[in-house]
Amino acid sequence: MSPLNIEVRDAPIGPVLEVIGELDYDTSAELRHLLAALPLKPGQRLVLDLARMEFCDSSGISALIAARNHAQSAGADIALAAVPANTLRVLRVVGLDQVFPLHPVAESAIEP
Amino acid sequence: MCRTGQQSDPHDADDEKTSDAAFAALLEDSAEELYECAPCGYLSTLMDGTIAKINTTLLDWLGLNREAVVGRMRFTDLLTVGGRLYHETHFAPLLRMQGEIGGVALEIRKADGVRMPVLASSVVKHGATGEPLLIRTTLFDARDRRAYEEELLRARRAAEEAQRQAEADRARLQDALAALQSSLLPDTLPPIPGMESAAHYRTASPDRLGGDFYDVFRLDAARFVFFLGDVCGKGPQAAAVTSLTRYTLRAAALHDPDPASALTTLNRVLHERYSSGDPRYCTAIFGTLEPDPVTGQVTVHLASGGHPPALVLRADGTADFLPTPGGLLVGILPTARFTPATITLGPGDTLLLYTDGLTEARTGESRTDLYGDEALRAFATDQAGRYPQAVMKALTGLLDSFGDGLDDDTALLALGVPASGSREPA
Repeated sequence: MSPLNIEVRDAPIGPVLEVIGELDYDTSAELRHLLAALPLKPGQRLVLDLARMEFCDSSGISALIAARNHAQSAGADIALAAVPANTLRVLRVVGLDQVFPLHPVAESAIEP
Repeated sequence: MCRTGQQSDPHDADDEKTSDAAFAALLEDSAEELYECAPCGYLSTLMDGTIAKINTTLLDWLGLNREAVVGRMRFTDLLTVGGRLYHETHFAPLLRMQGEIGGVALEIRKADGVRMPVLASSVVKHGATGEPLLIRTTLFDARDRRAYEEELLRARRAAEEAQRQAEADRARLQDALAALQSSLLPDTLPPIPGMESAAHYRTASPDRLGGDFYDVFRLDAARFVFFLGDVCGKGPQAAAVTSLTRYTLRAAALHDPDPASALTTLNRVLHERYSSGDPRYCTAIFGTLEPDPVTGQVTVHLASGGHPPALVLRADGTADFLPTPGGLLVGILPTARFTPATITLGPGDTLLLYTDGLTEARTGESRTDLYGDEALRAFATDQAGRYPQAVMKALTGLLDSFGDGLDDDTALLALGVPASGSREPA
């Protein structure tokens, strides 16, 4: 199994990317490439569901920021759902908990 | 050799005889023919080298007539000057001694002056009473072999040249890397009146330019500036950001040494420079030191942009994080908030800055078994009250103990106020 697997599904509010496995120096490019090809319309919300993300290093954090930049440049919104405790701690240290809307579960993130 | 192709009838004796003859003719018609037209040169000489017999193949190679050779020339006359020399010094003496010699590379000179490499083998033929009668020599065409050897030699020279070039390139690259790396970090820390300082940089991989940085320099008569941080990513791109960051912070400090202002300037520079495409950002703690020569205390103003909190090691043997919550990564948003903090260091106190290479060092099999903040705080507590150099020595030992677990570069900076009561003499 690949260390990183990303499943894409469409919610009424926008695409939901479920990040499964390890988001790190070796795999974060996969998320970036997928994002670059992901169509986003103004007013949509891109949701990253991290419930099954097992590991996230600084490259992974960079990929999350790239996702936010991608959403912003498309006039769309972004939200993180079910951020694992370790990653949440890192997000707090680097101040990103104030930058990303955080949701406990994907279901609440896709509500308008 | 297979004879089934003859389709002979075993009961017809005459037919069989005829086909045997035909087969013999196919094989070799005569020993003479074999001698003359063999795919190698044959040569018989008297013991003084005078050519007594030579085959057509060799004559063709040489481009000479039989009449011009037999009885008129010696074997050595067929050789190049170098070949003649080698014949006199090695070939002939060995042949005399051993009675035979095989596979010696010589060069013969053709009538048109062209050289032809051959492999020569000779045996001495002896008479009934054992006296040497003549020398029989076989010469094999070694042109293909020579061409092959020359090709090998050429390829080897090319490979050696390529390797020399690669080594030279590598040395140049390492010089360039070293020069660049040294532009990212100060050679030495300046002496700060009433303070001691120590720094350490540990790179996770020697071939990769690091993304961590620190600096300490004098701001004015009363104050010093310090900063330490971590640029996202690794390699040359990260190093370029590191360099930009270091010199931006230096310039910003001269303009306005307020820590949050300096980080705000850096934020604008990084965001403007890298907002399109690949996001580039850093975490940093920036601060000023103001030693009071009267009290011996040092006032520290600092601010953090997304950087792990500094540790304060107190003379009384305690250590605690200096919280700077909410400070944002530097460079990701056009405007960002940076969290300021102020502390006073008294005699025996030390401020310790570090990058997350230290706290995120792997300590177990799993990628999530990390050293962590609490372990670092406990370690720092054990070091509290010691001189910055002693603290740094303990920390480098800690880094050593991580071994392969150190995945990321680590920068460490300790700034302390020595005290007569410190656990370590200067």
